[in-house]
This record gives sequence, C-alpha cells and structure tokens, in this order.
Amino acid sequence: MIGIVVVSHSHALATAAVGLAAEMVAADNRPVIAVAAGLDEKTFGTDAVAVSEAIAAADSADGVLVLVDLGSAVLSAELALEFVDPEVAARARLTSAPLVEGLVAAVVTASTGASLDAVAAEAERGLLGKQEHLGSGPTPEPAAAVESGQGIEVVVSNKHGLHARPAARLVGLVNGYDARVTVTNLDTGHGPVDAGSLSMVATLNAIRGNLLRFAADGPEADEALAAINDLATENFGDDEPARFPARLGAPVEGDNGGSGLDVAFGPAVLAGDPVDISRYVAGDNESARLAAAVETVADELRRLRDASPDLGGIFEAQLALLTDPQQLKEIREVLDRGASAVNVWQLVFDRLAERFEALHDAYQRERAQDVRAVRDRVLRHLTGTTEDSPIQVETEQPAILVVPELDAATAATLDGRRFAGVAIRAAGTTGHGVIVGRSRGIPLITGIGDVAVPAGAVIAFDARKGSFEIEPDVARVRATIAEREAEQERAAAEAQLPATTIDGRTVAVLVNIGTVQDALSVRGADGSGLVRTELLFGERRTAPTVAEQVEAFRAIAAALPGKPITIRTWDVGGDKPLPFLPLDEEANPFLGERGLRAFRRRPELLRDQLEAVRQIAAEMPVHVMFPMVTTADEVAWALDELGPRPDGLKVGIMIEVPAAALRVATLTADLDFVSIGTNDLTQYVTATDRTNPAVAALADGLDPAVLQLVDHVVRNAGVPVGVCGDLASNPQAAVILAALGVHELSAIAPQVPLVKARLREADLRLIDTAAVLAARDGDQVRALL
Amino acid sequence: MIDKFTDWLRDSAKVLHENAAYLTELDSAIGDADHGANMDRGFAAVVAVLDETSFDSVDELLKKAGMTLVSKVGGASGPLYGTFFLRFGTALAGLSLTPESIGTGLRAGVDGVLARGKAELGDKTMYDAWAPALDAYDAAVAGSGDLGAALKAAAEASAKGRDATVPLEARKGRASYLGERSVGHQDPGATSTTLLLESAARTLA
Repeated sequence: MIGIVVVSHSHALATAAVGLAAEMVAADNRPVIAVAAGLDEKTFGTDAVAVSEAIAAADSADGVLVLVDLGSAVLSAELALEFVDPEVAARARLTSAPLVEGLVAAVVTASTGASLDAVAAEAERGLLGKQEHLGSGPTPEPAAAVESGQGIEVVVSNKHGLHARPAARLVGLVNGYDARVTVTNLDTGHGPVDAGSLSMVATLNAIRGNLLRFAADGPEADEALAAINDLATENFGDDEPARFPARLGAPVEGDNGGSGLDVAFGPAVLAGDPVDISRYVAGDNESARLAAAVETVADELRRLRDASPDLGGIFEAQLALLTDPQQLKEIREVLDRGASAVNVWQLVFDRLAERFEALHDAYQRERAQDVRAVRDRVLRHLTGTTEDSPIQVETEQPAILVVPELDAATAATLDGRRFAGVAIRAAGTTGHGVIVGRSRGIPLITGIGDVAVPAGAVIAFDARKGSFEIEPDVARVRATIAEREAEQERAAAEAQLPATTIDGRTVAVLVNIGTVQDALSVRGADGSGLVRTELLFGERRTAPTVAEQVEAFRAIAAALPGKPITIRTWDVGGDKPLPFLPLDEEANPFLGERGLRAFRRRPELLRDQLEAVRQIAAEMPVHVMFPMVTTADEVAWALDELGPRPDGLKVGIMIEVPAAALRVATLTADLDFVSIGTNDLTQYVTATDRTNPAVAALADGLDPAVLQLVDHVVRNAGVPVGVCGDLASNPQAAVILAALGVHELSAIAPQVPLVKARLREADLRLIDTAAVLAARDGDQVRALL
Repeated sequence: MIDKFTDWLRDSAKVLHENAAYLTELDSAIGDADHGANMDRGFAAVVAVLDETSFDSVDELLKKAGMTLVSKVGGASGPLYGTFFLRFGTALAGLSLTPESIGTGLRAGVDGVLARGKAELGDKTMYDAWAPALDAYDAAVAGSGDLGAALKAAAEASAKGRDATVPLEARKGRASYLGERSVGHQDPGATSTTLLLESAARTLA
C-alpha cells in the first residue's frame, strides 16, 4: 500500500484534514499518513527537512504520494526530495491535487491497494464531485461504458444518498475484484463513470431513491456485481445511525452490577499500579511477541465490544488506538533494530497519553485514560502478568478496588458480587470508566488523591458526604448502608407521591435528562427541569436535523406523559465540546464563548434547535431555556431568535453567572421562569475550578455566598425559580432550597425519589434560613440541618 | 575568510532583525505579512548555530546556514534562501576563495533560487534584485578585480532592482493573487535580498 504525506502551513489544518480522511476507511487498512505542517503546532510555515522526514516515514515499496497546500509548501516539498534517499525520491510523487478533497480521495483509493499512479490520478480528480454539483467545472468525461458485460440495477436506500462513506465502501469493494465496473445514475443521467473511482462516483449525485445501473466486464465481473448487489442491500454499509447516543443508563440484563448506593466498605484491593516490566527479557523475536500480544488484546477488546453493545464505542475506540497501522509500523521498525517490545510500547503509549493530556479540552484530556488502559493491557500480556491482575483475585468479602483511574473495561466487567465499590484517586467525573461504573450502579468515589492505602486494610467511603476513611468504624458504616438502603427502598416505593412537606408546601421534583434512557428509567419525576441537548446529541459528528431533534424530544416527552419537559438550548463551551460546533481555542474557556454566547456569531444551529422546540411545543407541554445568560440584551436577542411563541411554550433562562443573579429583576420582564445552575454559579462565585483537585473543596454548593444569591434570585425574579444543578440532587440541600422558596428542583434520575422522600419528611418552618444565610461556611450550613 | 563570512551572517541577522517590522509591513501590503518575522526567526537560528558550532570551511558554514533557513524560516523564503546558501556553499567546496570563485558561488546560489521559484525577471520577486546584482558583480570583478568594489556594485545594483519592483505586477507567490493591486508596492523579497548584499559589501571585503 502506498504511503501519504500531507504538507501544509498549518499543523491544525493538516491534522484535521487527516482526521477527516481517516474516517473514511477502517483503521486496519488505512495507509500510513505522515504530516509535515507548521513550524510547530502554533506557527504557520513549512520545513523542507520535516517534509523529507515525513516522506521517509510514509515511504513504502509502492511509493508515497505528497499532497501540499500552497506557496512554500510546494517549494519545501520539492526541496525535500533533494534531501531523501534518491531511491525514495524516485518513488515519491508530488501532486497538485486539492489538499482536502485530494487527501480524502487518496486515502480511500490507497486503502484498496491501488498503485501510486491510480491514487495520484484519483487525488487530482478530487474536485470533480464538487464542480459537477455546483455546475462550475469541466464536465467529467464519461467512462467508456462497459458494453458487453453483465449489468445490475440497484436503488440507493441510504438516507443521505451515496455520500462519501458509502461511496468509499463501494469503491473499495470494486477495486478488490479483477473487473472493470462502471456505474450510471439512471435518474439523473450522470455517467457511466468508473465505479472504482471515488471522485467519479461522487459526480453521480446519487441521492436516496435514485436507480443506479452497474455494468462490469473482466474475469471477476459476476463476482463484483454480486458483491455490489449485497452491499446495496446493506445500504452500502451505512448503518442506520443510532437514533440516540449510547444508552449508558441501561443496566445489562443479568449484569452483576453494584448496590446502586453511594456508600461502601471492604478490604482494599490495589490495582492499576504500573505494570512491572523490570524482569522482562528481550529476545530476538520482539516484533513477533508484540504482534501476538496485540492480537490477543484486540480479541479481548472485540469480545468486550460485542458483549456490551451500549458501551461498544468505547472499546472500538481502544481497538483503534491498539491497531493504528502507522503506529504499529513505526514500533516494528524500532523493534527490528533490536529494541525491547515492552520499552518501546510503553514509551510510545506514554507519549501518546501525554499528547492527549496536553489537549485543551477536558473531555479529550480524559481520553488519555483509554490510552493508558490499552498500554497496560498489552504490557501485561508481554510480561505474562495477566493472571495476577488484582481484579481477578478472590477476596473473602466484597472488596473496594482502589485505582489511580478507572478504565472503561474494568468498570464494565467488574463483578459487583466481589467488589462493593471503587475508590478512584484521580478527580474528574466524565471519564469513560466513571460513567460506565455509575451506570452499573457501582458505588464509587473520585478524587481521593494519593492518600496511602495499605493493601487489605478495610476502607470505607461515602460519596454523598465526600468522605473516605481507612479502618473506619465498621458498625457505623454498616448502619449508614442500612439507612441508605432503607431510604432507597422507601423512596422508590413512594416515588409517585407528591413532595409535600409537613408544613404543606408542594415542591415540584423533576429530572435532569442527558439520554432518552434517563427519561425511561426515572421514577416519580414531575417532568424534566433540564434536557441537556448537548449530551443528547453529543456523540454525533454532524448536527442533528430539526426533524431528528423533534423526534428525540418527542421520545423524552413520551416517557414522561403529560408532564412538561424543559429543553435547554445547546450548552457548549467550557468543558462541553460539541463535535459539530468547533469553537476557537480560548485561554479561559469557562469565561469565554459558552452557552448562548457561542451562538451570537453563528446562530444557525440555535435557529434549527428553536425551530424543533416550536414544532414539539405544538404537540405537548414544553419549556425552553437559554444557558449562560449575562445581560438583558442577550435575553432580548434570544427571544428575538425564538420569534413568536406558540401557546403554552414557556421561556426561561438559566442563572449561572453572578451578574445575572444579582440583576435578575431586570432580565425577567419577558420570561416565564428562571432556573439556577448551581454548579456553574458556585464555580463563578467562589472563583474555583471544580475539576482542579487542589481547590475543588472551595467549590461548595452549600457555601452561604451561593445560597445568598439563590435567596436574592427567589426574592427578586418575579417569576418561578427552579434549581437544576447538582445541589438539587442532594436531598439535604434540596430541603434548604425549598426553605429558601425555590419552586422546582430538577435532580438526576436515581436521586428523584430520594429528594422527594426527604422533602416529605421536612418541616420548612423549622429551617432557620436567616442562620443558614449568615453562616460562615458550607460546613456550618450542614451543621444547622 | 571564514571569519568574514561569519561576520556577514551575523551582520545580516542584525540588519534583518532591525528591519523585520519594515519587511513585514511591505509583505502585509501584497503578501501574508510574515516575511520580516520569518527572516528574523531564520537568521536568529543561524546565529544560534554559529554560537554553538565552529566550521572548518566556508562551504560547510554556508551549507549549514542554508539547512537552518530551510527548517526555520517557514515561508517561501525558507526554501529559496535556503537553496541559495546550500548551492553557494556547494559551489565553493574545494575552491580557494577569490572574487571570481565567490562570483561563481553567488551565481550557483541564484540559479538554485531560480530553479526552485521558477521566477522570471520582472515577476516582482527577489530575482529582480539578484539578477542585476550578479551582472554588476561580474562586471566589477572583470574591471578592477577587487572583491570590495564588486560587492558594493552588486549591492547598489540590487537596490536599483529592488526599487524597480514597485511598478511591477506580481506574477509569483501569494502577491500574484492580488494581480494589478500589487502594483505600487515594493517587493519584500527583493528588499531582503538587498539587505543581505549591502551587508556583504560591509563585511566580506
């Protein structure tokens, strides 16, 4: 297979283009793609020496194709050919193909094993599809139609037509046969064109419902047509896109999950320590050893993927990290020079993890965990320590697993009968492992730091209180567990009762929704006070259509029949990226273009969402609210974007910014409600990044400064006030919020019955709100309850 | 002679640094506003190499300077000036340094620039400064045979060539996208070439 080099002035441009192109073909038959772009990650420019190194890295016996952007990229690439081995230079080809379109075409064509000539020709035709579509370029020449051969006709049933990915599947398949295949779009008259050419297939403009005629001749013409027919019946490999993102909330049938509590104790089992590679002895077959270990781990990951369809994406991603062909090629080259497999593997994956950790985006940073999980799996196989994994060790009583970080595979397979809970040293709650563990009801606590835990010592934690103890008073912990179990049972049994306090106040308790499953699994919710649309569609790479959004909202509303749902418009930025809304890199993302702010410059996505809201509002009770509002101008702009409101559509904003809390009276003239996001409000009021363990303790939602602002909002808003931050999920805090006059609380699904139960037991007259607001800190507030 | 060539590179770095803002300003009118910063970065890297390494011959020195520029300049002037110094150095290898051999080296370097950039006279590029400079140099060497006089003549001819780029319409590089709108602006590449030759006249003789 030929190699490919991308030369650009911009590192970001080149890596993004490679990412776009790499998506087109499966990882295991992707060509090696090397990048020489920018003087460094930030400085535009090209470096002929770097280009020559990239050419050497991507070189193969079949040759290497070099794509360039403009200006000095061309000159540097030419100069680079003077620097590489003449033999390599002779089989390297610079192409004038357009960078992005040419790269996509080149990657797809190269993956079929096509020759350098064929790949170069495809890359140079990269603009044809676009030119044909826009009617601005030369009309592509029809391929000489296959006259005497066989033919079939198929209908395009893909929702988005024969777009790039399915076209790539078709081209890859056609090029696998010794046959010449042409295709004609009988509905548009386009063609016949070479079905083995991505650029030519793109000129067909084949949309859903079009009838295509394939004709073939050559030794394998029949086989090729039969395979095309099969591919067409499978929508050209286009899986019907999952209608909703991974349903992490769904426990697997028969799954030995956890207790569902937030408290646990047991003897400590320490795991996740660095794999001991000191006793590894390198041999003369390091490449083969590594290949065997990689193959074994790949099998393991495939089994994990297939066993848990909901979580499959996580293991698929780990599989891609494991089997990245370029990386494996580079590693093999080093091994062939006599290096030790464990050393090289560890070094390469450590560097990769470091690169993830250097990323700006918190979610991306946590992907370093997946890299380390893959690293350690392979190292354990290489060193033969698999069997000694502490996770497999039998303990007499359910244990607490103590790990530096929880990887998804461990979380998905941890046996809840043998492990009572997991204590995680790292802070952060969006790691895949934490999400998976929580969805399986495994008690877990994060951010215990590097406290020394002796193996086998009994430890206990209470995530609700944030406490972690070594050698605790076991009787007391057992009592807490019994209490929580009773609370859970009682709350579940009485979930449908209204949350009416002893003194007769009824508080609406709603549910926060991030997946449709949240709406299906919750018990006793009076509606949804927060639909996190950015989570609902967060795994999509392209923006959902209006119709798709309406369908998702309808599914949520159907799970909560007759009850209102509050749709929050896209809340992006900060720690929540949306793949289909790239944002500029910012020095302080939490103070930057977050929430509503992100759409002032680019309102299109927001407009689509508001259209979906208006449509669903015509069918069922819906509220809409805008996140991250600071000024009255922003409110006016958002209302203007929303336009005329259908009957029954209530409109509100989130109060997260201290400025908005303080001047709430000036914001609500045209609003029906406000909802306080206590997580962000706390972070902004206390100037504390809650993901930073060094200061996270300062971000206490029960800090009286936060409660004073809640009190101020309740007194001055002039409209009903809700709370949808974490504070509303904490039964203890919920009572204080109710006492301060908050009308609605929106909690995470498992906490809804608990919050309702606690409110039913509360007498708000007995809460001394004056003392709460005058308290010196959060601890004093808790002591008052 | 190595010391003089070292002085030339150091003096050029200093002059390019002092003129970085000016070059960038010229480039912002018709290009991508990075020529000054690019040349400054590239020659600062050359000076860093000079500080760390000692060279046994002028040709090694010039080749190393060329490779450094290739890696550090970033814009089109990287491969162009890089090629100039690489070819200049290569042509001098094994020759004794005389006004004639230096002339041969300069011409080899400029031929490299021409091969790389594929520019012609009047395209509003650095070649518009190099070409008259080489002719003036050769004429002076044929006349007086004095290196100092030849370099001075080259620098003066280069400055005239530079000034003559003002009314031209650009036909190469980023400036060519502007077409007629590039008329009336002085070419930044011809300007930096003149700075290098003026520096040579001060330091090499």
